[in-house]
Amino acid sequence: MSSELPESSVPPPTGADEPASAPTRRTFIATTAVGGAVVAGGVIGGTLLLDDDVAAAEAPPESRVSLTVNGTRRTVTVDNRTSLLDLLREHFGLTGSKKGCNAGACGACTVLVDGRRVNSCLTLAVRLEGAEVTTIEGLAEGDELHPLQKAFIEQDAFQCGYCTPGQIMSGVGCIKEGHTDSPEEIREWMSGNICRCGCYVKIVRAVEQTAGRK
Amino acid sequence: MSPQPQAAVGAPLSRVDGRLKVTGEAQYAAEFDVDGVVHAVIVDASIGRGRIAGVDTRDAEAHPGVLRVIHHRNAPKLPYRDNPGSNNLPGRRLRVFQDDKVLFHGQPVAVVVATTLEAAQHGASLVKVDYDAEQPSTDLAEAEAGEPTKYARGDAEAGLRESAVRMDLTYRMARNHHNPMETHATIARWDGGKLTVWDKTQWVVGTQTELSTVFDVPLKSVRVINPFVGGAFGSGLRCWPHTVVAALAAREMKRPVKVVLTRRQMYFGTGFRPSYEYRLRLGSDQRGRLRATVHEMDAETSSYETFEEGVMLAGQMFYSTPNVSQAYRKVPLDVNSPIWMRGPGFANASFAIESAMDELAHRLRIDPIELRLRNEPAEDESNGLPWSTRRLRECYTVGAREFGWDRRNPKPRSRRDGDWLIGLGMAGAVYDPNNMAAKARARLNADGTAVIEAASSDMGPGTYTSQAQVAADALGLAMRAVDFRLGDSLYPQTPPHGGSMTMMCVGSATLDACDKIRRQAIKLAVEDEESPLYGAKAEDIVVRSGRLHVQGTPARGETYQRLLTRNNLSRLEADGSWAGPSDPERHSYYSYGAVFTEVGVDATLGLVRVRRMLGVYDCGRIVSPKLADSQALGGMVGGIGQALLEHTVTDHRDGRIVNADLAGYLVPVNADIPEIKAIYLEGEDMQADPLGVKGIGEIVQVGVASAIANAVFNATGRRVRELPITAEALL
Repeated sequence: MSSELPESSVPPPTGADEPASAPTRRTFIATTAVGGAVVAGGVIGGTLLLDDDVAAAEAPPESRVSLTVNGTRRTVTVDNRTSLLDLLREHFGLTGSKKGCNAGACGACTVLVDGRRVNSCLTLAVRLEGAEVTTIEGLAEGDELHPLQKAFIEQDAFQCGYCTPGQIMSGVGCIKEGHTDSPEEIREWMSGNICRCGCYVKIVRAVEQTAGRK
Repeated sequence: MSPQPQAAVGAPLSRVDGRLKVTGEAQYAAEFDVDGVVHAVIVDASIGRGRIAGVDTRDAEAHPGVLRVIHHRNAPKLPYRDNPGSNNLPGRRLRVFQDDKVLFHGQPVAVVVATTLEAAQHGASLVKVDYDAEQPSTDLAEAEAGEPTKYARGDAEAGLRESAVRMDLTYRMARNHHNPMETHATIARWDGGKLTVWDKTQWVVGTQTELSTVFDVPLKSVRVINPFVGGAFGSGLRCWPHTVVAALAAREMKRPVKVVLTRRQMYFGTGFRPSYEYRLRLGSDQRGRLRATVHEMDAETSSYETFEEGVMLAGQMFYSTPNVSQAYRKVPLDVNSPIWMRGPGFANASFAIESAMDELAHRLRIDPIELRLRNEPAEDESNGLPWSTRRLRECYTVGAREFGWDRRNPKPRSRRDGDWLIGLGMAGAVYDPNNMAAKARARLNADGTAVIEAASSDMGPGTYTSQAQVAADALGLAMRAVDFRLGDSLYPQTPPHGGSMTMMCVGSATLDACDKIRRQAIKLAVEDEESPLYGAKAEDIVVRSGRLHVQGTPARGETYQRLLTRNNLSRLEADGSWAGPSDPERHSYYSYGAVFTEVGVDATLGLVRVRRMLGVYDCGRIVSPKLADSQALGGMVGGIGQALLEHTVTDHRDGRIVNADLAGYLVPVNADIPEIKAIYLEGEDMQADPLGVKGIGEIVQVGVASAIANAVFNATGRRVRELPITAEALL
């Protein structure tokens, strides 16, 4: 049997209408993912305990959630186990956000939730009632690319392109947070996004260039 | 190169697929929207060796959304015909769900198919598998090796005995995993007897032949599509079991099935760079000239296949050495099969050889570069062939100058910056670019645009861009008029996208196809009475921006568009090819490099940080400088990972990989990488191929680990002979 820690192993809640403010383990997961987007979270992984108590025969609990994705209001009924990343990729067809590790360690799934960068693989979709989500698909203004998207092309800040959407969304967050005073600072605050092709030097240049133009 | 003016080749252009990649529109294997697709999650063995005693699927099948659980007791028998010419290794390939044997921890033992990903994942956790477990053998140091592959020239043992200086050094290198950011994934769909798969691969043709032989269906009935590869570094060079699982499940379910490996499953569902023990004995005279080297290499392979890579070549050709003997032993373990990883063979051999040369230089008090120059061979001593080009001396000279090598104090532990001990190190690098036959097809449309097709891949180096550059110049078209298409087994066949051969092999085929079209158009024009070029000499005509004209007389000419339209031609077409290596070879072809680095080692914590790095490369012509620069920096980053971070920890009790995730298997992150730099020597190697290229993807990782180890020695006086170099080794 797999000893994987997929998001599906998070026990689904018994009541779907539990108030969002209740300090449950799930709240902790969601808020940690929001706040701790930059650094991979061992703590986060540690809370995802395997739970065999889930009654297999029961229909998986579902919830309705309304959220805004790239400016469009969407209301969906989702399996409570669904991460924001899987909601985007498997249900909305927004495959720009990538799944690299599904454990918050690589940053390929980075999106903005209410303006802050988060690992969407660690964010349960049902927690996002009323949230505003921006993915790579929503970054350009029509045909006009976001300055950071342009800078990535100019600086050649990617090769295979798989981590790129996450890098760019993370870079947008990094610039917004003001963590761009020096290349060292950018490196530190962009270290939650792994690029296995090794484009770090140029990612830093692209973020620097875009921050400088602001 | 053709007589055409060079406009695109050599120009620092941005990627033609850049916009698709920065907007998230580039589609990777798992992202194709296939109607009616269901999700499958593989259940992998939790023992390292033994038999499956029972599979209880009741809970899984009762889980809402789960459609079926397939395992060895209910799976159909598959033909698994031989697949010669593939990248399958010698041995007997793993056959999914065909028997009850477990050959390694993580082997697929069942697959859960469900309507949703969530249900499939949860269903997989509910499958109960009972095993009769045996003790697996997974420790390279403890296991018995197979028969060695040997090489000898001269009498190495006698040479050692007669040498004034002798060294006996053993180096160990950890297993490395490719860990591309995109995990491997397959969507499979059967339409009657025809199979279409969207599969992450570096070789759509390889996946096509494998599925054709596993299921015993005609090659033409299998189509493999993969326009974008989210990194691979070798992990996509062969077709892995999960791809068969996807196709098998799709056939059983009679609907399309998607399998996406988890990050954890990547560690045993795809291959890896094997761990090595490399004993090197060398003898030299007092001036450092090598008299003899004896190389004994032990590397892990699986129990069911024998993996080999080019780890012996560097020891045969890099330095002038009259007496050489080598024994390369593969050690079968209860693990999944390894596969080539960036700089295969050379990245490991160079760690041993280039560390040893640094040790010899230190012992003889000779500058490491000077020692290398004293051992430069005049020809390839392994076969007596002249070099095509070997500009290693220039790599050293340019590198030393640009890096400031003269500021290095040869005395270890002589420079300090606060808590940090500072050291400089260098290493030479070499790689043997692969060379295989390739084909491409080109079409020039009457509107003056062109389409080139080849079943190649682009895992990141920029195949789309660089091939379009070659085509644009050969056809005399602007880049925007050229559309290079790849990643579809319907296109003309190409070799695997790896081994640094895509530019040479596919590029030469592209050039051939486009040259043929240009010549067709020129012939058409000079024989067409209505053309302003009528009667002109074909060899005097060039094409620029889609317009043919007499060289030196731009006024006399016409566009492709006019020419084709007037002749009622909707298109011109041509097939191009590259034959592969000439037989017999007349030259010895290698890419070369020199890597320089400065490291800081925390004097109390043993932490190693790379502070600067420079790579200088002799790779022939650089077709796409902007992209080639990225590739070099990326190779150096990969080398930094190999040197300082990457290793796989196996629990030898049950063969489980303990750190099978990106939080435990560390790869470099942004904060690990300082400002690093690459220089490609200008030039070309016209002996190698019509483009004058030698391949760059592998050489850029070779030598990095040894340069870092040598710098660590210079900083601390501690010689670390084991990769990765961890703080523990320096405390």
